[in-house]
Amino acid sequence: MRRTIQRALVIVLAGAVLGLAANAVSPRRIPYLTPRKAASRAEDTVALQQAQELWASGSAFFLDAREPADYAAGHIAGALSLPIEEFNDRFAPVERMLTPDATIIIYCDGLDCDLSERLMVRLRELGYHNVRHLVNGWSAWRRAELATHTGELP
Amino acid sequence: MKVVDLIFRLVMGGIFIASAVAKIWNVQVSHAHGMEFSHVPDLAAFAKDVANYHVPPRALANLVAITLPWIELLAGGLLVCGIWKRASALVITALMVVFLAAIGWALAHGYDIRCGCFGTVEARKVGVVALLEDGAMLAMAAWLAWRLNDGSAANNGGKS
Repeated sequence: MRRTIQRALVIVLAGAVLGLAANAVSPRRIPYLTPRKAASRAEDTVALQQAQELWASGSAFFLDAREPADYAAGHIAGALSLPIEEFNDRFAPVERMLTPDATIIIYCDGLDCDLSERLMVRLRELGYHNVRHLVNGWSAWRRAELATHTGELP
Repeated sequence: MKVVDLIFRLVMGGIFIASAVAKIWNVQVSHAHGMEFSHVPDLAAFAKDVANYHVPPRALANLVAITLPWIELLAGGLLVCGIWKRASALVITALMVVFLAAIGWALAHGYDIRCGCFGTVEARKVGVVALLEDGAMLAMAAWLAWRLNDGSAANNGGKS
């Protein structure tokens, strides 16, 4: 049994070394330690309370940056689907509904989800300046038991 | 029982090889594009999945993502080839315990995250199904770690 455990440790160590070597030579290597995420700037985010007020008054567009399947499974009522991963294919129909001054609120899900921030940056590059994101949006919205829809459209 | 050992070995080894390859080369399957993968090791997506579990300290998520799939690949490969069978079954058993604990942790905390079990091949979320699958795999791996011997027992004066 002792020999088995020794061999098992050799397998683990050899695998780890292989992994480190493979990552070191890969053109798509990732850092050995996970970089700390820059905290969201306050002016880039919208609080749930305010998002809810904007939603209730109908004065903001809500964009769902998650994958289409997640959107179909459930989204903030009235939100449009605009997955950042498929931005080029899907932006045209959304673009027709937006004006440069439109208030836009983007969300995805999870505290670590960066889809909404990436979409925010993209939209700002295109000249939409009134864009913010709702941190951990889908979870927060659901937890507050606010209105949601399911299905593919709109 | 030798047949059962062989089947379990091939199944568990195969699963570990396949899931390791999917993670390392970021294999993705979609209806629209069929199967896509990176030609060089590309662990960014898997590292994100690891970080989402919040099990290892956040800073170490990348290190786990860099090393874990290669340990899986090596252990799975050895198990299939029949080299150091028991030792590789032991590694796989230990990994299955870790995976089960991680999935249990995510479920207990209500994380709505991608499983990452087979890298990014499937967009499947962590859930009870993944828990049951991993339970079955743990049973198979533990069976192998218990049953197999690496040849040393045969030299023990025939005690086995």
